[in-house]
Amino acid sequence: MPARLLQRQISLLEYLTSADAIFGEGIDAPPVPHLQGFDLAPLRLEACFSHEKRMEKIIAAFPRTFELLGDDQATVVRDFVAACPSVDIRRIENARQFHDFACARWETTPPQPPYLRDVAACELAMATLRIKGKVRSSQPVAAGHAMRFRRNREAVFLPCAYDIRPIFEGGASEAPQLRDVMLAILIPPGNDQPAIFEVPASVYGLLVELDTWTDRAAWGPMEGLDELISELAEHGLLEVSR
Amino acid sequence: MTLRKLTPAVGIGYRSAIGDWTRDNLAHFDMLEITVDHCLSSSESVASEIFDLVGQIPMTAHGIGLSIGTDVPLDLAYLDRVASIVERLQAPAYSEHLAFTRAPGRDLANLLPLPKTEEVAEAIIAKVRTIQSRIPVPFLLENISYLFEWPESRMTDVEFLNLVCRETGAGLLLDVENLYLNSRNHGFDPHAFLNDLPAGIVKEVHVAGGVTVHKDFLARPFLADSHSHPVPDGALDLLDRVLVRHRPDAVVLERDDRLQEFDEILADVRRIRARVDAVQSENGHASALVAASD
Repeated sequence: MPARLLQRQISLLEYLTSADAIFGEGIDAPPVPHLQGFDLAPLRLEACFSHEKRMEKIIAAFPRTFELLGDDQATVVRDFVAACPSVDIRRIENARQFHDFACARWETTPPQPPYLRDVAACELAMATLRIKGKVRSSQPVAAGHAMRFRRNREAVFLPCAYDIRPIFEGGASEAPQLRDVMLAILIPPGNDQPAIFEVPASVYGLLVELDTWTDRAAWGPMEGLDELISELAEHGLLEVSR
Repeated sequence: MTLRKLTPAVGIGYRSAIGDWTRDNLAHFDMLEITVDHCLSSSESVASEIFDLVGQIPMTAHGIGLSIGTDVPLDLAYLDRVASIVERLQAPAYSEHLAFTRAPGRDLANLLPLPKTEEVAEAIIAKVRTIQSRIPVPFLLENISYLFEWPESRMTDVEFLNLVCRETGAGLLLDVENLYLNSRNHGFDPHAFLNDLPAGIVKEVHVAGGVTVHKDFLARPFLADSHSHPVPDGALDLLDRVLVRHRPDAVVLERDDRLQEFDEILADVRRIRARVDAVQSENGHASALVAASD
Protein backbone atom coordinates (compact mmCIF):
# COMPACT_ATOMS: atom_id res chain seq x y z
CA MET A 1 0.00 0.00 0.00
CA PRO A 2 1.18 3.57 -0.46
CA ALA A 3 3.32 4.73 2.43
CA ARG A 4 0.87 7.46 3.26
CA LEU A 5 -2.27 5.31 3.34
CA LEU A 6 -2.08 4.51 7.05
CA GLN A 7 -1.63 8.18 7.89
CA ARG A 8 -4.62 9.03 5.71
CA GLN A 9 -6.70 6.29 7.35
CA ILE A 10 -5.81 7.67 10.77
CA SER A 11 -6.69 11.19 9.68
CA LEU A 12 -9.96 9.98 8.19
CA LEU A 13 -10.95 8.19 11.40
CA GLU A 14 -9.94 11.18 13.49
CA TYR A 15 -12.21 13.33 11.38
CA LEU A 16 -15.10 10.83 11.37
CA THR A 17 -15.00 10.61 15.17
CA SER A 18 -14.73 14.37 15.68
CA ALA A 19 -17.43 16.73 16.91
CA ASP A 20 -16.78 18.72 13.72
CA ALA A 21 -17.96 15.87 11.54
CA ILE A 22 -20.68 14.57 13.85
CA PHE A 23 -22.29 17.85 14.81
CA GLY A 24 -21.34 19.87 11.75
CA GLU A 25 -19.05 22.29 13.50
CA GLY A 26 -16.69 23.97 11.07
CA ILE A 27 -18.23 22.08 8.17
CA ASP A 28 -17.32 24.81 5.70
CA ALA A 29 -13.67 24.54 6.57
CA PRO A 30 -11.68 21.81 4.81
CA PRO A 31 -10.57 19.00 7.14
CA VAL A 32 -6.96 18.21 7.80
CA PRO A 33 -4.60 18.26 4.80
CA HIS A 34 -4.51 14.45 4.53
CA LEU A 35 -8.21 14.56 3.61
CA GLN A 36 -8.03 17.02 0.76
CA GLY A 37 -10.15 15.84 -2.13
CA PHE A 38 -12.84 14.07 -0.11
CA ASP A 39 -16.47 15.10 -0.46
CA LEU A 40 -17.32 16.30 3.05
CA ALA A 41 -21.09 15.74 3.00
CA PRO A 42 -20.96 11.93 2.77
CA LEU A 43 -18.11 11.94 5.31
CA ARG A 44 -20.42 13.76 7.72
CA LEU A 45 -23.15 11.21 7.05
CA GLU A 46 -20.69 8.40 7.79
CA ALA A 47 -19.70 10.18 11.00
CA CYS A 48 -23.34 10.58 12.05
CA PHE A 49 -24.14 6.91 11.38
CA SER A 50 -21.14 5.72 13.34
CA HIS A 51 -21.90 8.08 16.21
CA GLU A 52 -25.53 6.94 16.36
CA LYS A 53 -24.47 3.29 16.44
CA ARG A 54 -21.97 3.99 19.20
CA MET A 55 -24.48 5.94 21.29
CA GLU A 56 -27.04 3.15 20.86
CA LYS A 57 -24.54 0.79 22.47
CA ILE A 58 -23.87 3.20 25.32
CA ILE A 59 -27.50 4.12 25.99
CA ALA A 60 -28.39 0.43 26.01
CA ALA A 61 -25.97 0.04 28.92
CA PHE A 62 -27.16 3.19 30.75
CA PRO A 63 -30.90 3.54 30.07
CA ARG A 64 -31.78 5.04 33.47
CA THR A 65 -28.71 7.26 33.57
CA PHE A 66 -29.65 8.81 30.25
CA GLU A 67 -33.26 9.16 31.31
CA LEU A 68 -32.15 10.98 34.46
CA LEU A 69 -29.77 13.23 32.53
CA GLY A 70 -32.85 14.81 30.98
CA ASP A 71 -32.10 18.12 29.32
CA ASP A 72 -28.37 17.75 30.03
CA GLN A 73 -28.17 14.74 27.74
CA ALA A 74 -27.24 16.65 24.58
CA THR A 75 -24.49 18.65 26.30
CA VAL A 76 -23.06 15.61 28.02
CA VAL A 77 -23.00 13.61 24.77
CA ARG A 78 -21.40 16.47 22.88
CA ASP A 79 -18.67 16.85 25.49
CA PHE A 80 -18.20 13.08 25.60
CA VAL A 81 -17.67 12.93 21.84
CA ALA A 82 -15.13 15.75 22.00
CA ALA A 83 -13.22 14.13 24.87
CA CYS A 84 -13.52 10.42 24.08
CA PRO A 85 -13.40 9.26 20.45
CA SER A 86 -14.33 5.67 19.73
CA VAL A 87 -11.36 3.36 20.25
CA ASP A 88 -13.04 -0.02 20.54
CA ILE A 89 -15.89 -1.80 18.79
CA ARG A 90 -17.17 -3.57 21.92
CA ARG A 91 -20.27 -2.40 23.74
CA ILE A 92 -18.78 -2.81 27.18
CA GLU A 93 -15.64 -0.86 26.32
CA ASN A 94 -17.72 2.04 25.02
CA ALA A 95 -19.85 1.85 28.17
CA ARG A 96 -16.73 1.98 30.36
CA GLN A 97 -15.42 4.89 28.36
CA PHE A 98 -18.65 6.81 28.94
CA HIS A 99 -18.71 5.93 32.64
CA ASP A 100 -15.12 7.10 33.13
CA PHE A 101 -15.94 10.33 31.30
CA ALA A 102 -19.08 10.93 33.37
CA CYS A 103 -17.30 10.25 36.68
CA ALA A 104 -14.51 12.68 35.77
CA ARG A 105 -17.10 15.29 34.82
CA TRP A 106 -18.98 14.81 38.06
CA GLU A 107 -15.80 15.47 40.03
CA THR A 108 -15.98 19.11 38.96
CA THR A 109 -19.69 19.44 38.16
CA PRO A 110 -21.83 17.59 40.71
CA PRO A 111 -24.36 15.39 38.96
CA GLN A 112 -28.01 16.30 38.80
CA PRO A 113 -29.83 14.50 40.25
CA PRO A 114 -27.19 13.83 42.92
CA TYR A 115 -27.75 10.05 42.91
CA LEU A 116 -26.83 9.83 39.21
CA ARG A 117 -23.30 8.66 40.05
CA ASP A 118 -24.69 5.66 41.93
CA VAL A 119 -27.17 4.85 39.16
CA ALA A 120 -24.46 4.97 36.49
CA ALA A 121 -22.11 2.77 38.54
CA CYS A 122 -24.89 0.28 39.07
CA GLU A 123 -25.75 0.19 35.37
CA LEU A 124 -22.11 -0.33 34.41
CA ALA A 125 -21.92 -3.26 36.83
CA MET A 126 -25.09 -4.74 35.33
CA ALA A 127 -23.78 -4.31 31.77
CA THR A 128 -20.53 -6.02 32.75
CA LEU A 129 -22.40 -8.93 34.27
CA ARG A 130 -24.61 -9.32 31.20
CA ILE A 131 -21.48 -9.75 29.10
CA LYS A 132 -20.40 -12.57 31.37
CA GLY A 133 -23.81 -14.13 30.87
CA LYS A 134 -26.18 -16.18 32.83
CA VAL A 135 -24.98 -18.51 35.52
CA ARG A 136 -26.07 -22.07 35.06
CA SER A 137 -28.11 -23.38 37.96
CA SER A 138 -26.19 -25.70 40.19
CA GLN A 139 -27.61 -28.38 42.39
CA PRO A 140 -28.25 -26.91 45.84
CA VAL A 141 -25.82 -28.11 48.43
CA ALA A 142 -27.25 -28.47 51.89
CA ALA A 143 -25.29 -26.58 54.50
CA GLY A 144 -23.24 -28.90 56.63
CA HIS A 145 -19.80 -29.44 58.03
CA ALA A 146 -18.56 -31.36 54.94
CA MET A 147 -18.87 -28.43 52.61
CA ARG A 148 -16.80 -25.45 51.65
CA PHE A 149 -17.75 -22.05 50.36
CA ARG A 150 -16.40 -18.80 48.98
CA ARG A 151 -17.71 -15.43 47.85
CA ASN A 152 -19.17 -15.27 44.35
CA ARG A 153 -16.32 -13.53 42.59
CA GLU A 154 -18.56 -12.32 39.78
CA ALA A 155 -20.65 -10.28 42.21
CA VAL A 156 -19.98 -6.54 42.21
CA PHE A 157 -20.10 -4.79 45.59
CA LEU A 158 -20.96 -1.16 45.25
CA PRO A 159 -20.96 1.32 48.13
CA CYS A 160 -23.63 3.91 47.34
CA ALA A 161 -24.55 7.22 48.95
CA TYR A 162 -28.18 6.70 47.98
CA ASP A 163 -30.43 3.68 48.15
CA ILE A 164 -31.11 3.58 44.43
CA ARG A 165 -32.75 0.15 44.33
CA PRO A 166 -36.27 1.52 43.80
CA ILE A 167 -35.10 3.06 40.51
CA PHE A 168 -34.35 -0.44 39.25
CA GLU A 169 -37.42 -2.03 40.77
CA GLY A 170 -40.22 -0.80 38.60
CA GLY A 171 -39.49 2.91 38.65
CA ALA A 172 -39.39 5.08 41.71
CA SER A 173 -41.96 7.82 42.07
CA GLU A 174 -39.91 9.46 44.82
CA ALA A 175 -36.23 10.39 44.90
CA PRO A 176 -33.96 7.71 46.33
CA GLN A 177 -33.22 8.01 50.01
CA LEU A 178 -29.88 9.55 51.02
CA ARG A 179 -28.45 6.63 52.98
CA ASP A 180 -25.07 4.86 52.85
CA VAL A 181 -25.80 1.43 51.51
CA MET A 182 -23.72 -1.48 50.26
CA LEU A 183 -25.27 -3.03 47.18
CA ALA A 184 -24.37 -6.38 45.67
CA ILE A 185 -25.06 -6.77 41.96
CA LEU A 186 -24.97 -10.24 40.47
CA ILE A 187 -26.82 -12.69 38.28
CA PRO A 188 -28.59 -15.07 40.67
CA PRO A 189 -28.31 -18.81 39.94
CA GLY A 190 -30.61 -19.87 37.13
CA ASN A 191 -31.29 -16.30 35.99
CA ASP A 192 -30.03 -14.44 32.98
CA GLN A 193 -30.43 -10.88 34.23
CA PRO A 194 -28.58 -9.11 37.04
CA ALA A 195 -30.27 -8.45 40.35
CA ILE A 196 -29.44 -5.93 43.07
CA PHE A 197 -29.36 -6.80 46.76
CA GLU A 198 -28.59 -4.73 49.81
CA VAL A 199 -25.88 -6.34 51.88
CA PRO A 200 -25.73 -5.43 55.58
CA ALA A 201 -22.32 -4.26 56.74
CA SER A 202 -21.74 -7.37 58.86
CA VAL A 203 -22.50 -9.69 55.95
CA TYR A 204 -20.32 -7.62 53.61
CA GLY A 205 -17.46 -7.99 56.07
CA LEU A 206 -17.96 -11.75 56.07
CA LEU A 207 -18.07 -11.94 52.28
CA VAL A 208 -14.85 -9.93 51.93
CA GLU A 209 -13.15 -12.50 54.15
CA LEU A 210 -14.35 -15.35 51.97
CA ASP A 211 -12.22 -14.63 48.96
CA THR A 212 -10.94 -18.21 48.77
CA TRP A 213 -12.55 -21.58 49.39
CA THR A 214 -13.13 -22.07 53.08
CA ASP A 215 -14.06 -25.33 54.86
CA ARG A 216 -17.22 -25.05 56.88
CA ALA A 217 -15.66 -27.35 59.46
CA ALA A 218 -12.91 -24.81 60.14
CA TRP A 219 -15.50 -22.42 61.54
CA GLY A 220 -16.75 -24.89 64.14
CA PRO A 221 -20.22 -24.75 65.63
CA MET A 222 -21.73 -21.30 65.21
CA GLU A 223 -25.36 -20.48 65.77
CA GLY A 224 -27.20 -19.39 62.63
CA LEU A 225 -24.16 -19.78 60.35
CA ASP A 226 -25.57 -22.63 58.27
CA GLU A 227 -28.81 -20.75 57.74
CA LEU A 228 -26.87 -17.64 56.69
CA ILE A 229 -24.73 -19.67 54.26
CA SER A 230 -27.85 -21.22 52.76
CA GLU A 231 -29.48 -17.84 52.32
CA LEU A 232 -26.40 -16.25 50.76
CA ALA A 233 -25.95 -19.22 48.44
CA GLU A 234 -29.61 -19.05 47.42
CA HIS A 235 -29.13 -15.44 46.32
CA GLY A 236 -25.89 -16.29 44.56
CA LEU A 237 -23.63 -14.33 46.91
CA LEU A 238 -21.81 -17.48 48.01
CA GLU A 239 -20.59 -20.44 45.98
CA VAL A 240 -20.93 -23.68 47.88
CA SER A 241 -19.43 -27.05 47.03
CA ARG A 242 -18.74 -30.38 48.62
CA MET B 1 -21.97 -30.43 8.20
CA THR B 2 -22.27 -29.18 4.63
CA LEU B 3 -24.89 -26.96 3.14
CA ARG B 4 -27.86 -28.78 1.61
CA LYS B 5 -27.35 -30.43 -1.75
CA LEU B 6 -30.11 -28.47 -3.47
CA THR B 7 -28.17 -25.21 -3.41
CA PRO B 8 -28.44 -22.46 -2.57
CA ALA B 9 -29.38 -22.92 1.05
CA VAL B 10 -31.47 -20.09 2.48
CA GLY B 11 -30.93 -18.82 6.00
CA ILE B 12 -30.39 -15.87 8.28
CA GLY B 13 -27.54 -14.31 10.16
CA TYR B 14 -27.72 -15.60 13.75
CA ARG B 15 -28.27 -12.85 16.34
CA SER B 16 -28.16 -13.77 20.01
CA ALA B 17 -30.83 -11.18 20.82
CA ILE B 18 -33.31 -13.45 19.02
CA GLY B 19 -31.43 -16.66 19.69
CA ASP B 20 -34.37 -18.36 21.41
CA TRP B 21 -36.70 -17.49 18.54
CA THR B 22 -34.14 -18.69 16.01
CA ARG B 23 -33.72 -22.03 17.75
CA ASP B 24 -37.50 -22.45 17.89
CA ASN B 25 -37.76 -21.73 14.17
CA LEU B 26 -34.85 -23.68 12.71
CA ALA B 27 -37.25 -25.48 10.39
CA HIS B 28 -37.66 -22.27 8.40
CA PHE B 29 -33.98 -22.13 7.54
CA ASP B 30 -31.54 -24.37 5.66
CA MET B 31 -28.53 -22.82 7.33
CA LEU B 32 -27.37 -20.05 9.68
CA GLU B 33 -24.55 -17.58 9.25
CA ILE B 34 -22.53 -17.14 12.42
CA THR B 35 -20.53 -14.00 13.07
CA VAL B 36 -17.28 -15.38 14.43
CA ASP B 37 -16.65 -12.21 16.42
CA HIS B 38 -19.82 -12.91 18.41
CA CYS B 39 -18.26 -16.22 19.45
CA LEU B 40 -15.01 -14.48 20.35
CA SER B 41 -16.22 -11.50 22.35
CA SER B 42 -19.66 -12.36 23.70
CA SER B 43 -20.42 -14.07 26.96
CA GLU B 44 -19.66 -17.75 27.40
CA SER B 45 -23.37 -18.49 27.40
CA VAL B 46 -23.89 -16.78 24.03
CA ALA B 47 -20.97 -18.69 22.54
CA SER B 48 -22.26 -21.96 24.03
CA GLU B 49 -25.68 -21.40 22.55
CA ILE B 50 -24.08 -20.99 19.15
CA PHE B 51 -21.86 -24.05 19.45
CA ASP B 52 -24.83 -26.08 20.65
CA LEU B 53 -26.31 -25.58 17.17
CA VAL B 54 -23.49 -27.58 15.56
CA GLY B 55 -25.04 -30.74 14.17
CA GLN B 56 -28.53 -29.28 14.19
CA ILE B 57 -28.16 -27.02 11.15
CA PRO B 58 -25.30 -26.16 8.78
CA MET B 59 -23.51 -22.93 9.64
CA THR B 60 -21.18 -20.71 7.68
CA ALA B 61 -18.68 -18.33 9.27
CA HIS B 62 -18.64 -14.58 8.77
CA GLY B 63 -16.30 -11.97 10.25
CA ILE B 64 -16.57 -8.29 11.08
CA GLY B 65 -13.42 -7.75 13.12
CA LEU B 66 -10.47 -8.32 10.78
CA SER B 67 -10.23 -4.85 9.20
CA ILE B 68 -8.25 -6.31 6.32
CA GLY B 69 -7.86 -2.90 4.72
CA THR B 70 -6.08 -1.16 7.58
CA ASP B 71 -2.58 -0.41 6.36
CA VAL B 72 -0.89 -2.47 9.07
CA PRO B 73 0.01 -6.18 9.21
CA LEU B 74 -2.83 -8.60 9.87
CA ASP B 75 -3.53 -9.60 13.46
CA LEU B 76 -2.39 -13.22 13.22
CA ALA B 77 -3.51 -14.07 16.75
CA TYR B 78 -7.02 -12.94 15.82
CA LEU B 79 -6.89 -15.05 12.66
CA ASP B 80 -5.87 -18.12 14.62
CA ARG B 81 -8.77 -17.59 17.00
CA VAL B 82 -11.07 -17.28 14.00
CA ALA B 83 -9.65 -20.51 12.60
CA SER B 84 -10.55 -22.37 15.77
CA ILE B 85 -14.09 -20.98 15.68
CA VAL B 86 -14.48 -21.93 12.02
CA GLU B 87 -13.34 -25.45 12.81
CA ARG B 88 -15.68 -25.73 15.77
CA LEU B 89 -18.63 -24.52 13.69
CA GLN B 90 -17.68 -27.00 10.93
CA ALA B 91 -18.20 -24.06 8.61
CA PRO B 92 -17.61 -24.67 4.88
CA ALA B 93 -16.31 -21.12 4.31
CA TYR B 94 -15.17 -17.96 6.11
CA SER B 95 -16.00 -14.50 4.82
CA GLU B 96 -14.89 -10.96 5.63
CA HIS B 97 -15.47 -7.47 4.28
CA LEU B 98 -13.20 -5.76 1.80
CA ALA B 99 -12.97 -2.71 4.04
CA PHE B 100 -11.30 -1.17 7.03
CA THR B 101 -12.89 -0.28 10.34
CA ARG B 102 -10.01 0.96 12.45
CA ALA B 103 -6.56 2.45 12.56
CA PRO B 104 -4.19 2.78 15.51
CA GLY B 105 -5.96 4.87 18.14
CA ARG B 106 -9.42 4.80 16.59
CA ASP B 107 -12.08 2.15 15.96
CA LEU B 108 -15.13 3.38 14.10
CA ALA B 109 -16.89 -0.02 14.26
CA ASN B 110 -18.22 0.80 10.81
CA LEU B 111 -17.07 -0.56 7.48
CA LEU B 112 -15.20 1.99 5.41
CA PRO B 113 -14.11 1.75 1.78
CA LEU B 114 -10.55 1.54 0.52
CA PRO B 115 -8.87 3.50 -2.25
CA LYS B 116 -9.46 1.36 -5.34
CA THR B 117 -5.95 1.35 -6.76
CA GLU B 118 -3.59 -1.41 -7.90
CA GLU B 119 -1.21 -0.68 -5.01
CA VAL B 120 -3.93 -1.17 -2.44
CA ALA B 121 -5.15 -4.28 -4.27
CA GLU B 122 -1.63 -5.75 -4.09
CA ALA B 123 -1.54 -5.25 -0.33
CA ILE B 124 -4.95 -6.87 0.04
CA ILE B 125 -3.91 -9.79 -2.17
CA ALA B 126 -0.95 -10.50 0.11
CA LYS B 127 -3.20 -10.40 3.16
CA VAL B 128 -5.78 -12.70 1.57
CA ARG B 129 -3.02 -15.23 0.89
CA THR B 130 -2.03 -15.07 4.55
CA ILE B 131 -5.63 -15.66 5.59
CA GLN B 132 -5.89 -18.60 3.21
CA SER B 133 -2.73 -20.10 4.67
CA ARG B 134 -4.11 -19.99 8.22
CA ILE B 135 -7.79 -20.81 7.81
CA PRO B 136 -8.35 -24.13 6.05
CA VAL B 137 -11.68 -23.38 4.38
CA PRO B 138 -12.41 -21.22 1.34
CA PHE B 139 -12.12 -17.50 2.04
CA LEU B 140 -14.75 -15.13 0.65
CA LEU B 141 -14.57 -11.35 0.37
CA GLU B 142 -17.71 -9.26 0.78
CA ASN B 143 -18.46 -6.03 -1.05
CA ILE B 144 -19.51 -3.27 1.37
CA SER B 145 -21.90 -0.39 1.00
CA TYR B 146 -20.07 2.91 1.16
CA LEU B 147 -21.06 6.52 1.43
CA PHE B 148 -17.88 8.21 0.21
CA GLU B 149 -15.12 7.57 -2.31
CA TRP B 150 -11.38 8.02 -1.90
CA PRO B 151 -10.26 10.71 -4.35
CA GLU B 152 -7.36 8.58 -5.61
CA SER B 153 -9.56 5.61 -6.60
CA ARG B 154 -8.79 4.61 -10.17
CA MET B 155 -10.77 1.37 -10.50
CA THR B 156 -14.44 0.51 -10.40
CA ASP B 157 -15.84 -1.61 -7.58
CA VAL B 158 -16.02 -4.68 -9.77
CA GLU B 159 -12.53 -4.21 -11.22
CA PHE B 160 -11.09 -3.98 -7.71
CA LEU B 161 -12.96 -7.05 -6.47
CA ASN B 162 -12.13 -9.06 -9.57
CA LEU B 163 -8.43 -8.25 -9.31
CA VAL B 164 -8.19 -9.42 -5.70
CA CYS B 165 -10.31 -12.53 -6.26
CA ARG B 166 -8.54 -13.51 -9.49
CA GLU B 167 -5.07 -13.25 -7.95
CA THR B 168 -5.97 -15.14 -4.79
CA GLY B 169 -8.70 -17.55 -5.83
CA ALA B 170 -10.91 -16.08 -3.13
CA GLY B 171 -14.64 -16.29 -3.73
CA LEU B 172 -17.11 -13.49 -3.37
CA LEU B 173 -19.77 -13.02 -0.75
CA LEU B 174 -21.94 -10.71 -2.79
CA ASP B 175 -24.15 -8.44 -0.75
CA VAL B 176 -26.86 -7.60 -3.27
CA GLU B 177 -28.32 -4.97 -0.94
CA ASN B 178 -24.94 -3.24 -0.84
CA LEU B 179 -24.71 -3.47 -4.62
CA TYR B 180 -28.23 -2.06 -4.92
CA LEU B 181 -27.51 0.83 -2.51
CA ASN B 182 -24.14 1.66 -4.05
CA SER B 183 -25.58 1.70 -7.56
CA ARG B 184 -28.32 4.10 -6.43
CA ASN B 185 -26.09 6.29 -4.25
CA HIS B 186 -23.18 6.50 -6.66
CA GLY B 187 -24.98 6.20 -9.97
CA PHE B 188 -23.72 3.06 -11.69
CA ASP B 189 -25.45 0.14 -13.35
CA PRO B 190 -25.66 -2.86 -10.99
CA HIS B 191 -26.34 -5.19 -13.91
CA ALA B 192 -23.10 -4.13 -15.54
CA PHE B 193 -21.37 -4.90 -12.22
CA LEU B 194 -22.91 -8.38 -12.21
CA ASN B 195 -22.06 -8.98 -15.86
CA ASP B 196 -18.44 -8.11 -15.20
CA LEU B 197 -18.08 -10.73 -12.45
CA PRO B 198 -16.70 -14.05 -13.68
CA ALA B 199 -19.48 -16.66 -13.65
CA GLY B 200 -19.37 -18.81 -10.52
CA ILE B 201 -17.31 -16.44 -8.40
CA VAL B 202 -20.21 -15.66 -6.04
CA LYS B 203 -20.26 -18.37 -3.39
CA GLU B 204 -22.60 -16.76 -0.88
CA VAL B 205 -25.09 -13.90 -1.01
CA HIS B 206 -26.30 -11.39 1.56
CA VAL B 207 -29.66 -9.68 1.31
CA ALA B 208 -31.05 -7.05 3.66
CA GLY B 209 -33.30 -4.04 3.80
CA GLY B 210 -32.29 -0.48 4.59
CA VAL B 211 -33.72 3.00 4.89
CA THR B 212 -33.58 6.28 2.99
CA VAL B 213 -31.74 9.02 4.88
CA HIS B 214 -32.48 12.72 4.51
CA LYS B 215 -30.08 15.24 6.05
CA ASP B 216 -29.95 18.96 5.51
CA PHE B 217 -26.26 18.80 4.58
CA LEU B 218 -26.85 16.24 1.80
CA ALA B 219 -27.66 17.36 -1.71
CA ARG B 220 -29.91 14.32 -2.14
CA PRO B 221 -31.20 11.45 0.00
CA PHE B 222 -28.89 8.49 0.60
CA LEU B 223 -29.91 4.86 0.93
CA ALA B 224 -28.40 3.35 4.06
CA ASP B 225 -27.64 -0.29 4.77
CA SER B 226 -29.37 -0.44 8.14
CA HIS B 227 -30.41 -4.11 8.07
CA SER B 228 -33.68 -3.00 9.61
CA HIS B 229 -36.47 -3.33 7.08
CA PRO B 230 -37.86 -5.71 4.46
CA VAL B 231 -35.62 -6.42 1.48
CA PRO B 232 -36.47 -4.08 -1.43
CA ASP B 233 -37.70 -5.70 -4.62
CA GLY B 234 -34.82 -4.06 -6.48
CA ALA B 235 -32.32 -6.08 -4.43
CA LEU B 236 -34.28 -9.29 -4.99
CA ASP B 237 -34.27 -8.63 -8.74
CA LEU B 238 -30.47 -8.49 -8.55
CA LEU B 239 -30.55 -11.73 -6.57
CA ASP B 240 -32.37 -13.43 -9.47
CA ARG B 241 -29.53 -12.63 -11.80
CA VAL B 242 -26.90 -13.76 -9.29
CA LEU B 243 -28.68 -17.06 -8.78
CA VAL B 244 -28.70 -17.83 -12.48
CA ARG B 245 -25.16 -16.78 -13.21
CA HIS B 246 -23.30 -17.92 -10.10
CA ARG B 247 -25.24 -20.71 -8.37
CA PRO B 248 -24.10 -19.67 -4.88
CA ASP B 249 -24.10 -22.11 -1.98
CA ALA B 250 -26.05 -19.91 0.40
CA VAL B 251 -28.31 -16.87 0.53
CA VAL B 252 -28.36 -15.16 3.92
CA LEU B 253 -30.86 -12.61 5.16
CA GLU B 254 -29.15 -10.08 7.43
CA ARG B 255 -31.18 -8.32 10.09
CA ASP B 256 -29.71 -6.20 12.90
CA ASP B 257 -32.50 -3.87 13.88
CA ARG B 258 -36.22 -4.22 14.58
CA LEU B 259 -35.35 -7.80 15.37
CA GLN B 260 -38.66 -8.48 17.09
CA GLU B 261 -40.49 -8.12 13.76
CA PHE B 262 -40.44 -11.88 13.32
CA ASP B 263 -43.19 -11.87 10.70
CA GLU B 264 -41.12 -9.55 8.52
CA ILE B 265 -38.07 -11.79 8.87
CA LEU B 266 -39.97 -14.92 7.95
CA ALA B 267 -41.73 -13.13 5.10
CA ASP B 268 -38.35 -12.05 3.71
CA VAL B 269 -37.06 -15.62 3.97
CA ARG B 270 -40.12 -16.79 2.04
CA ARG B 271 -39.58 -14.09 -0.61
CA ILE B 272 -35.94 -15.16 -1.01
CA ARG B 273 -36.90 -18.82 -1.19
CA ALA B 274 -39.54 -18.06 -3.81
CA ARG B 275 -36.87 -16.37 -5.95
CA VAL B 276 -34.52 -19.32 -5.46
CA ASP B 277 -37.22 -21.83 -6.34
CA ALA B 278 -38.35 -19.85 -9.37
CA VAL B 279 -34.82 -19.60 -10.73
CA GLN B 280 -34.12 -23.28 -10.06
CA SER B 281 -37.30 -24.39 -11.79
CA GLU B 282 -36.63 -22.17 -14.79
CA ASN B 283 -32.90 -22.48 -14.74
CA GLY B 284 -32.49 -23.40 -18.36
CA HIS B 285 -34.70 -20.57 -19.53
CA ALA B 286 -33.03 -18.04 -17.21
CA SER B 287 -29.57 -19.12 -18.33
CA ALA B 288 -30.56 -18.55 -21.91
CA LEU B 289 -31.79 -15.08 -21.06
CA VAL B 290 -28.54 -14.15 -19.35
CA ALA B 291 -26.49 -15.54 -22.21
CA ALA B 292 -28.55 -13.55 -24.68
CA SER B 293 -28.13 -10.31 -22.78
CA ASP B 294 -24.42 -10.70 -21.97
